[in-house]
Amino acid sequence: MTNLLLRIEHSGLAEWIRSTDSIFGYYGLLTMHTIGMAIVVGISAGFDLRILGFAPGLPLAAMEKFLPFLWTGFAINAISGTLLLATDATHKLVNPDFYVKMVCIALGLGALQLLMRDLGRAASVDTAARSTNTKVMAAVSLACWLGAIVAGRLLAYVGAGSDVR
Amino acid sequence: MNYIHLHLLLNHFPTVGFGLGLALFVAGLSQRSADLKRASLVIFVLLAALTILTFVTGNDAQAALRETPGVPAPAVDAHETAALLAFVVMQVTGVFSWLGLWTWRRAGGLVRWNAAAILIGAVATTGLMAGAANLGGQIRHPEIQGAGVHDAAAIDPAQVAGATPQRSRGRYVEEHSWVWPTCEVLHYVGLCLLCAAVIIIDLRILGVGKQVLSFGAVYQLLPLGEIGFVLNLATGLVFFTATPQQYTGVLFVLKMLLVVLGAANLLYFVLADELWTIDEGHDAPIRAKMVAGTGLAIWVAVVFCGRMLPALGNAF
Repeated sequence: MTNLLLRIEHSGLAEWIRSTDSIFGYYGLLTMHTIGMAIVVGISAGFDLRILGFAPGLPLAAMEKFLPFLWTGFAINAISGTLLLATDATHKLVNPDFYVKMVCIALGLGALQLLMRDLGRAASVDTAARSTNTKVMAAVSLACWLGAIVAGRLLAYVGAGSDVR
Repeated sequence: MNYIHLHLLLNHFPTVGFGLGLALFVAGLSQRSADLKRASLVIFVLLAALTILTFVTGNDAQAALRETPGVPAPAVDAHETAALLAFVVMQVTGVFSWLGLWTWRRAGGLVRWNAAAILIGAVATTGLMAGAANLGGQIRHPEIQGAGVHDAAAIDPAQVAGATPQRSRGRYVEEHSWVWPTCEVLHYVGLCLLCAAVIIIDLRILGVGKQVLSFGAVYQLLPLGEIGFVLNLATGLVFFTATPQQYTGVLFVLKMLLVVLGAANLLYFVLADELWTIDEGHDAPIRAKMVAGTGLAIWVAVVFCGRMLPALGNAF
């Protein structure tokens, strides 16, 4: 197992990401990962907060129009995240905090799917938004994104190989 | 030209400008003039944003003065401490002014309690800024000091600016290991809240979801963006005051310039009347689309400049 992780970490691609000055190097990938996060969490949190009562005049029917952008942000982060992981596979893949982050993201996406299903089923999306079930799902979604941000940020601080200041 | 010139150029706006804004605001209140009141609120918001740049370039000026003999560290420190307090009070006044502009549409004017808060904040800011400016002037203006104070030979070398790197403000963050990561998390949360408003508003102006969204609907999201902005201003101030040595150089100054432009960009959505013609199914005017597109580009560039600080700037 450790052998496999070492091979990933010392692959040509991972070496190149660590050493290059190009825009697609380590910090460039971190930049893209941050922008992807802002898109995914921004759009998701905007509508979650709407369901929880903030900006009540915002029609929820608009939410599905923004989903393609959300998924674009998610794709940016899946790709940049995988590449970033490869550069430090031996540490990150044995760090429990990394798996906390992955679980938070999976649950966050699950909550989003359930939310869209509930809204799609209801006769009118804005009536569905008033049900307790939908509100709970919106709160769960917000909590998952917050959890993912906390766990993600703490990856720099906890576990072996963390670059503690 | 270097950052010291920039600091010396920018430092006139917070003092003189806020004083003028205050005079306009008082005139607006006494004459019950909506136009004057609104104009002064715009001045307060824009100056509060611009002062971010004034504040951070002071750090570069201080770093440069470290190599200058005859600049007493206590004078620089006193100016910095006074400027920090004035900066915080000014930002609070700016937030209340922003809120006043945002609620203007619904309330049809400035709410009484908010007018009082802005008046108190603006008076306090003008006084504190004048004090900070005076202390800044004393760093190197022998004509306004008593004779002999600046006799370079009489100055202990240990008192030269920057020779005392241990500041009390940074020490709290250093001694409490939870402060820095907590502020980082909040900085990311603030970014997401700001982007929630920016992405949905700007994309709607550019045509996304236009069949169901009017401008009035997305206007309600603006406070979410303001909350994110304030959260990031506050946590950013913690980073900056704790380890100012990380935040020197062109990339950080560029980031702050972009933040000022981003704040001005958001102000357009609070002020422009033309946006309220955008109903469900309506296309936004071309100027609105240009402002929205520019806004998205500005915030992407802000994230780029911030995230690249360890690689291209002086952060560690």
